[in-house]
Amino acid sequence: MTATSPTQSPSTAEAAINNIKGTEDPEVADKGNEVEPETDADDFDDNEIIDHTTFDQLLEMDDEEDHEFSKSLVWNYFEQAEKTFLDMDNAMEKLDFPDLSRLGHFLKGSSAALGLTKVKESCEKLQHYGNRKEAAGVESISNEEAEKLIRSLLVQMRQEYKEAESYLRVFYEDDE
Amino acid sequence: MCTTSTTSLLQDSKTSSTFFNKAITNMSASSPILSTISPPSSPAMSIESDFEDQDETTTTTTVQQPRKIKVMIIDDNSVNLTILSRLLNKHFADTIQLTSVQNSGLSALDQLTKDEVDLILMDIDMPVLSGVETTTAIRNNDSHSEHSILEQNMKVPIIAVTTSDAEEQRELYRQVGMADCVSKPIAIPKLRMAIEEAMKTVSTNG
Repeated sequence: MTATSPTQSPSTAEAAINNIKGTEDPEVADKGNEVEPETDADDFDDNEIIDHTTFDQLLEMDDEEDHEFSKSLVWNYFEQAEKTFLDMDNAMEKLDFPDLSRLGHFLKGSSAALGLTKVKESCEKLQHYGNRKEAAGVESISNEEAEKLIRSLLVQMRQEYKEAESYLRVFYEDDE
Repeated sequence: MCTTSTTSLLQDSKTSSTFFNKAITNMSASSPILSTISPPSSPAMSIESDFEDQDETTTTTTVQQPRKIKVMIIDDNSVNLTILSRLLNKHFADTIQLTSVQNSGLSALDQLTKDEVDLILMDIDMPVLSGVETTTAIRNNDSHSEHSILEQNMKVPIIAVTTSDAEEQRELYRQVGMADCVSKPIAIPKLRMAIEEAMKTVSTNG
Protein backbone atom coordinates (compact mmCIF):
# COMPACT_ATOMS: atom_id res chain seq x y z
CA MET A 1 0.00 0.00 0.00
CA THR A 2 2.31 2.69 -1.22
CA ALA A 3 1.14 5.74 -3.10
CA THR A 4 2.88 6.56 -6.32
CA SER A 5 4.72 9.72 -5.59
CA PRO A 6 7.18 11.89 -7.44
CA THR A 7 10.83 11.87 -6.51
CA GLN A 8 11.37 13.71 -3.27
CA SER A 9 14.07 14.40 -0.72
CA PRO A 10 14.47 12.00 2.25
CA SER A 11 11.86 12.53 4.92
CA THR A 12 12.54 13.28 8.56
CA ALA A 13 11.71 9.65 9.37
CA GLU A 14 14.25 8.30 6.93
CA ALA A 15 16.90 10.69 8.26
CA ALA A 16 16.23 9.51 11.81
CA ILE A 17 16.58 5.88 10.79
CA ASN A 18 19.81 6.60 8.91
CA ASN A 19 21.25 8.35 11.95
CA ILE A 20 20.53 5.33 14.08
CA LYS A 21 22.14 3.02 11.56
CA GLY A 22 25.25 5.18 11.69
CA THR A 23 25.68 4.59 15.42
CA GLU A 24 25.13 0.86 15.29
CA ASP A 25 27.34 -1.14 17.64
CA PRO A 26 30.38 -2.24 15.54
CA GLU A 27 30.85 -5.31 17.70
CA VAL A 28 27.40 -6.46 16.79
CA ALA A 29 28.07 -5.66 13.18
CA ASP A 30 31.32 -7.61 13.22
CA LYS A 31 29.51 -10.64 14.47
CA GLY A 32 27.56 -10.51 11.28
CA ASN A 33 24.22 -10.39 13.04
CA GLU A 34 21.76 -8.74 10.73
CA VAL A 35 20.04 -6.86 13.48
CA GLU A 36 17.65 -4.24 12.29
CA PRO A 37 18.33 -0.95 14.03
CA GLU A 38 15.55 -0.43 16.48
CA THR A 39 13.50 2.63 15.97
CA ASP A 40 10.71 3.77 18.16
CA ALA A 41 8.32 6.65 18.06
CA ASP A 42 10.56 8.70 20.38
CA ASP A 43 13.15 8.96 17.62
CA PHE A 44 10.82 11.15 15.64
CA ASP A 45 10.62 14.85 16.18
CA ASP A 46 6.88 14.63 16.18
CA ASN A 47 6.08 18.10 17.42
CA GLU A 48 4.77 19.14 14.05
CA ILE A 49 3.68 15.79 12.69
CA ILE A 50 1.12 14.86 15.32
CA ASP A 51 -1.11 16.97 17.51
CA HIS A 52 -1.00 14.78 20.58
CA THR A 53 -4.02 16.38 22.18
CA THR A 54 -6.12 15.08 19.32
CA PHE A 55 -4.29 11.81 18.83
CA ASP A 56 -4.35 10.98 22.53
CA GLN A 57 -8.09 11.51 22.56
CA LEU A 58 -8.28 8.92 19.82
CA LEU A 59 -6.14 6.49 21.83
CA GLU A 60 -8.42 6.99 24.81
CA MET A 61 -11.22 5.48 22.76
CA ASP A 62 -9.29 2.22 22.54
CA ASP A 63 -10.04 -0.61 24.89
CA GLU A 64 -7.57 -0.78 27.76
CA GLU A 65 -5.97 -3.96 26.53
CA ASP A 66 -5.00 -2.91 23.03
CA HIS A 67 -5.05 -0.25 20.32
CA GLU A 68 -7.16 -2.29 17.94
CA PHE A 69 -9.71 0.43 17.31
CA SER A 70 -7.32 3.34 16.73
CA LYS A 71 -4.97 1.19 14.68
CA SER A 72 -7.74 0.01 12.37
CA LEU A 73 -8.88 3.61 12.03
CA VAL A 74 -5.38 4.80 11.16
CA TRP A 75 -4.93 2.04 8.64
CA ASN A 76 -8.29 3.00 7.15
CA TYR A 77 -6.96 6.55 6.91
CA PHE A 78 -3.86 5.30 5.07
CA GLU A 79 -6.06 3.65 2.44
CA GLN A 80 -8.21 6.74 2.18
CA ALA A 81 -5.22 9.05 1.83
CA GLU A 82 -3.54 6.90 -0.83
CA LYS A 83 -6.69 6.83 -2.90
CA THR A 84 -7.23 10.55 -2.44
CA PHE A 85 -3.69 11.34 -3.59
CA LEU A 86 -4.32 9.33 -6.76
CA ASP A 87 -7.56 11.23 -7.30
CA MET A 88 -5.64 14.47 -6.79
CA ASP A 89 -3.12 13.44 -9.45
CA ASN A 90 -5.93 12.69 -11.87
CA ALA A 91 -7.60 16.01 -11.13
CA MET A 92 -4.29 17.81 -11.58
CA GLU A 93 -3.81 16.26 -15.03
CA LYS A 94 -7.14 17.69 -16.04
CA LEU A 95 -6.55 20.95 -14.14
CA ASP A 96 -9.88 20.32 -12.44
CA PHE A 97 -9.52 22.95 -9.75
CA PRO A 98 -12.94 22.48 -8.12
CA ASP A 99 -12.25 18.78 -7.73
CA LEU A 100 -8.83 19.49 -6.27
CA SER A 101 -10.45 21.83 -3.76
CA ARG A 102 -13.03 19.22 -2.84
CA LEU A 103 -10.38 16.53 -2.43
CA GLY A 104 -8.31 18.85 -0.26
CA HIS A 105 -11.24 19.51 2.00
CA PHE A 106 -12.13 15.82 2.15
CA LEU A 107 -8.69 14.73 3.31
CA LYS A 108 -8.41 17.73 5.64
CA GLY A 109 -11.28 16.42 7.72
CA SER A 110 -9.85 12.99 8.45
CA SER A 111 -6.31 14.34 8.80
CA ALA A 112 -7.57 16.80 11.40
CA ALA A 113 -9.49 14.07 13.19
CA LEU A 114 -6.28 12.07 13.65
CA GLY A 115 -4.22 15.09 14.63
CA LEU A 116 -2.01 15.07 11.52
CA THR A 117 -1.21 18.76 11.71
CA LYS A 118 0.98 19.35 8.68
CA VAL A 119 -1.11 17.22 6.34
CA LYS A 120 -4.24 19.01 7.51
CA GLU A 121 -2.71 22.43 6.92
CA SER A 122 -1.57 21.48 3.42
CA CYS A 123 -5.00 20.10 2.64
CA GLU A 124 -6.49 23.42 3.66
CA LYS A 125 -4.12 25.24 1.31
CA LEU A 126 -5.11 22.90 -1.51
CA GLN A 127 -8.73 23.65 -0.74
CA HIS A 128 -8.03 27.37 -1.17
CA TYR A 129 -5.75 27.06 -4.20
CA GLY A 130 -8.41 24.93 -5.90
CA ASN A 131 -10.82 27.78 -5.33
CA ARG A 132 -8.29 30.13 -6.95
CA LYS A 133 -7.49 31.78 -3.64
CA GLU A 134 -4.18 32.26 -1.89
CA ALA A 135 -3.23 30.14 1.13
CA ALA A 136 -5.37 32.04 3.60
CA GLY A 137 -8.37 31.79 1.31
CA VAL A 138 -8.92 35.52 0.98
CA GLU A 139 -7.20 37.00 -2.06
CA SER A 140 -7.88 35.66 -5.54
CA ILE A 141 -5.12 34.17 -7.69
CA SER A 142 -4.95 33.32 -11.37
CA ASN A 143 -5.32 29.87 -12.84
CA GLU A 144 -1.60 29.87 -13.67
CA GLU A 145 -0.65 30.78 -10.13
CA ALA A 146 -3.03 28.17 -8.76
CA GLU A 147 -1.59 25.48 -11.00
CA LYS A 148 1.97 26.29 -9.97
CA LEU A 149 1.12 26.40 -6.29
CA ILE A 150 -0.84 23.16 -6.41
CA ARG A 151 1.88 21.23 -8.22
CA SER A 152 4.38 22.23 -5.57
CA LEU A 153 1.91 21.59 -2.78
CA LEU A 154 1.07 18.07 -3.92
CA VAL A 155 4.74 17.10 -3.63
CA GLN A 156 4.98 18.70 -0.21
CA MET A 157 1.74 17.10 0.95
CA ARG A 158 2.89 13.61 0.01
CA GLN A 159 6.13 14.15 1.90
CA GLU A 160 4.25 15.30 4.97
CA TYR A 161 1.92 12.35 4.67
CA LYS A 162 4.86 9.95 4.45
CA GLU A 163 6.33 11.46 7.60
CA ALA A 164 3.04 10.98 9.42
CA GLU A 165 2.60 7.48 8.03
CA SER A 166 6.11 6.46 9.12
CA TYR A 167 5.56 7.86 12.58
CA LEU A 168 2.25 6.08 13.02
CA ARG A 169 3.51 2.75 11.67
CA VAL A 170 6.43 2.87 14.10
CA PHE A 171 4.10 3.88 16.92
CA TYR A 172 1.89 0.87 16.41
CA GLU A 173 4.81 -1.46 15.86
CA ASP A 174 6.22 -0.36 19.20
CA ASP A 175 2.89 -1.21 20.74
CA GLU A 176 2.91 -4.81 19.54
CA MET B 1 -31.57 -0.86 16.53
CA CYS B 2 -29.35 1.14 14.23
CA THR B 3 -29.51 1.68 10.49
CA THR B 4 -26.58 2.59 8.37
CA SER B 5 -25.51 2.70 4.80
CA THR B 6 -21.99 2.01 6.01
CA THR B 7 -22.51 -1.20 7.92
CA SER B 8 -18.92 -1.87 8.91
CA LEU B 9 -18.75 1.27 11.01
CA LEU B 10 -20.74 -0.11 13.87
CA GLN B 11 -18.93 -3.38 14.35
CA ASP B 12 -17.04 -1.80 17.19
CA SER B 13 -20.09 -0.20 18.84
CA LYS B 14 -20.52 -1.26 22.40
CA THR B 15 -23.86 -1.84 24.02
CA SER B 16 -24.49 -3.05 27.46
CA SER B 17 -27.48 -3.88 29.52
CA THR B 18 -25.83 -1.90 32.32
CA PHE B 19 -26.08 1.32 30.31
CA PHE B 20 -29.79 1.68 31.05
CA ASN B 21 -29.18 1.33 34.76
CA LYS B 22 -26.31 3.78 34.49
CA ALA B 23 -28.67 6.20 32.79
CA ILE B 24 -30.92 6.12 35.81
CA THR B 25 -28.22 6.56 38.42
CA ASN B 26 -25.73 8.77 36.62
CA MET B 27 -27.82 10.95 34.39
CA SER B 28 -28.35 13.79 36.81
CA ALA B 29 -24.72 13.70 37.91
CA SER B 30 -23.26 13.82 34.42
CA SER B 31 -25.71 16.08 32.72
CA PRO B 32 -28.53 17.85 34.50
CA ILE B 33 -30.08 19.08 31.26
CA LEU B 34 -29.93 15.76 29.46
CA SER B 35 -31.66 14.11 32.38
CA THR B 36 -34.75 16.27 32.06
CA ILE B 37 -35.71 15.04 28.61
CA SER B 38 -39.23 13.61 28.66
CA PRO B 39 -39.92 11.91 25.35
CA PRO B 40 -43.46 11.13 24.24
CA SER B 41 -43.24 7.49 25.14
CA SER B 42 -41.03 6.02 27.79
CA PRO B 43 -40.95 2.76 29.61
CA ALA B 44 -42.61 3.11 33.01
CA MET B 45 -41.53 1.32 36.12
CA SER B 46 -44.01 0.49 38.83
CA ILE B 47 -43.08 0.45 42.48
CA GLU B 48 -45.44 -1.29 44.83
CA SER B 49 -45.45 -0.49 48.48
CA ASP B 50 -47.65 -2.23 50.99
CA PHE B 51 -49.10 -0.33 53.88
CA GLU B 52 -49.91 -2.34 56.91
CA ASP B 53 -53.33 -0.94 57.60
CA GLN B 54 -56.65 -2.51 58.14
CA ASP B 55 -57.62 -2.14 54.48
CA GLU B 56 -54.35 -3.60 53.29
CA THR B 57 -54.28 -0.87 50.67
CA THR B 58 -51.53 -1.17 48.07
CA THR B 59 -50.20 2.01 46.54
CA THR B 60 -48.56 1.90 43.14
CA THR B 61 -46.29 4.71 42.05
CA THR B 62 -45.32 4.98 38.39
CA VAL B 63 -41.88 6.43 37.75
CA GLN B 64 -41.17 7.77 34.28
CA GLN B 65 -37.71 6.61 33.24
CA PRO B 66 -36.09 8.94 30.70
CA ARG B 67 -35.07 7.12 27.56
CA LYS B 68 -31.89 7.79 25.65
CA ILE B 69 -31.66 10.45 23.00
CA LYS B 70 -31.86 8.88 19.55
CA VAL B 71 -29.11 10.32 17.39
CA MET B 72 -28.39 10.27 13.68
CA ILE B 73 -24.88 11.14 12.45
CA ILE B 74 -24.08 12.14 8.87
CA ASP B 75 -20.63 12.45 7.25
CA ASP B 76 -19.27 11.44 3.84
CA ASN B 77 -15.86 10.59 5.34
CA SER B 78 -15.73 7.09 6.81
CA VAL B 79 -12.87 7.98 9.18
CA ASN B 80 -14.87 10.82 10.68
CA LEU B 81 -17.99 8.70 10.94
CA THR B 82 -16.10 5.95 12.74
CA ILE B 83 -14.57 8.40 15.21
CA LEU B 84 -17.88 10.08 15.98
CA SER B 85 -19.64 6.75 16.39
CA ARG B 86 -17.01 5.53 18.80
CA LEU B 87 -16.92 8.81 20.66
CA LEU B 88 -20.66 8.75 21.24
CA ASN B 89 -20.61 5.12 22.34
CA LYS B 90 -17.68 5.69 24.70
CA HIS B 91 -18.49 9.04 26.24
CA PHE B 92 -22.24 9.48 25.85
CA ALA B 93 -23.50 5.92 26.24
CA ASP B 94 -25.54 6.76 29.32
CA THR B 95 -27.65 9.36 27.56
CA ILE B 96 -27.38 8.77 23.81
CA GLN B 97 -28.44 5.91 21.58
CA LEU B 98 -26.79 6.04 18.17
CA THR B 99 -29.62 4.88 15.94
CA SER B 100 -28.53 5.93 12.47
CA VAL B 101 -25.23 6.41 10.66
CA GLN B 102 -25.44 7.96 7.20
CA ASN B 103 -22.72 8.87 4.70
CA SER B 104 -24.73 11.30 2.62
CA GLY B 105 -27.43 13.92 2.92
CA LEU B 106 -29.65 11.97 0.52
CA SER B 107 -29.51 8.75 2.54
CA ALA B 108 -30.18 10.76 5.68
CA LEU B 109 -33.30 12.33 4.18
CA ASP B 110 -34.52 8.92 3.13
CA GLN B 111 -34.02 7.56 6.62
CA LEU B 112 -35.84 10.53 8.13
CA THR B 113 -38.97 9.49 6.25
CA LYS B 114 -38.94 6.21 8.18
CA ASP B 115 -37.56 6.59 11.70
CA GLU B 116 -37.84 9.29 14.34
CA VAL B 117 -34.69 10.77 15.81
CA ASP B 118 -34.15 13.27 18.60
CA LEU B 119 -30.89 14.82 17.41
CA ILE B 120 -28.78 15.02 14.24
CA LEU B 121 -25.02 15.58 14.10
CA MET B 122 -24.23 16.64 10.56
CA ASP B 123 -21.09 17.26 8.51
CA ILE B 124 -21.27 20.30 6.28
CA ASP B 125 -19.09 19.74 3.23
CA MET B 126 -20.55 16.70 1.52
CA PRO B 127 -20.99 15.98 -2.18
CA VAL B 128 -24.39 16.14 -3.89
CA LEU B 129 -26.21 17.56 -0.84
CA SER B 130 -24.22 19.64 1.62
CA GLY B 131 -25.08 19.86 5.29
CA VAL B 132 -26.71 23.23 4.71
CA GLU B 133 -28.80 21.87 1.84
CA THR B 134 -29.75 18.79 3.82
CA THR B 135 -30.83 20.92 6.78
CA THR B 136 -32.90 23.13 4.52
CA ALA B 137 -34.56 20.07 3.03
CA ILE B 138 -35.39 18.74 6.51
CA ARG B 139 -36.90 22.02 7.65
CA ASN B 140 -38.90 22.33 4.42
CA ASN B 141 -39.93 18.66 4.41
CA ASP B 142 -38.23 18.01 1.09
CA SER B 143 -37.07 14.43 1.26
CA HIS B 144 -36.18 14.29 -2.46
CA SER B 145 -38.36 11.21 -2.65
CA GLU B 146 -42.03 10.33 -2.83
CA HIS B 147 -42.23 10.00 0.95
CA SER B 148 -42.46 12.84 3.44
CA ILE B 149 -40.07 13.39 6.28
CA LEU B 150 -41.70 12.40 9.56
CA GLU B 151 -43.21 15.41 11.25
CA GLN B 152 -41.13 15.14 14.40
CA ASN B 153 -37.95 14.98 12.35
CA MET B 154 -38.65 18.28 10.63
CA LYS B 155 -37.97 20.15 13.87
CA VAL B 156 -35.23 17.94 15.24
CA PRO B 157 -32.19 19.83 16.57
CA ILE B 158 -29.29 19.69 14.12
CA ILE B 159 -25.70 20.34 15.15
CA ALA B 160 -23.08 20.98 12.48
CA VAL B 161 -19.83 19.07 13.02
CA THR B 162 -17.27 20.58 10.66
CA THR B 163 -13.91 22.19 9.98
CA SER B 164 -15.80 25.00 8.22
CA ASP B 165 -16.41 26.91 11.42
CA ALA B 166 -15.69 30.56 10.65
CA GLU B 167 -18.15 33.06 12.12
CA GLU B 168 -19.87 33.84 8.84
CA GLN B 169 -20.36 30.13 8.23
CA ARG B 170 -21.80 29.65 11.73
CA GLU B 171 -24.23 32.44 10.98
CA LEU B 172 -25.32 30.64 7.81
CA TYR B 173 -25.88 27.45 9.79
CA ARG B 174 -28.08 29.36 12.23
CA GLN B 175 -30.04 30.92 9.39
CA VAL B 176 -30.94 27.57 7.85
CA GLY B 177 -32.06 26.24 11.21
CA MET B 178 -29.09 24.53 12.79
CA ALA B 179 -28.84 24.70 16.55
CA ASP B 180 -25.06 24.89 16.90
CA CYS B 181 -21.70 24.16 15.31
CA VAL B 182 -18.95 21.96 16.79
CA SER B 183 -15.50 22.21 15.25
CA LYS B 184 -13.47 19.24 14.06
CA PRO B 185 -11.44 17.71 15.58
CA ILE B 186 -14.17 17.26 18.16
CA ALA B 187 -13.54 18.33 21.74
CA ILE B 188 -15.78 16.20 23.92
CA PRO B 189 -16.71 18.94 26.41
CA LYS B 190 -17.76 21.22 23.56
CA LEU B 191 -19.84 18.49 21.96
CA ARG B 192 -21.48 17.75 25.29
CA MET B 193 -22.31 21.40 25.83
CA ALA B 194 -23.71 21.76 22.31
CA ILE B 195 -25.92 18.69 22.77
CA GLU B 196 -27.16 19.95 26.12
CA GLU B 197 -28.03 23.35 24.73
CA ALA B 198 -29.76 21.86 21.70
CA MET B 199 -31.85 19.47 23.79
CA LYS B 200 -32.65 22.26 26.25
CA THR B 201 -34.34 24.05 23.37
CA VAL B 202 -36.46 20.97 22.73
CA SER B 203 -37.49 20.80 26.39
CA THR B 204 -38.34 24.48 26.45
CA ASN B 205 -40.41 24.32 23.30
CA GLY B 206 -42.21 21.16 24.44
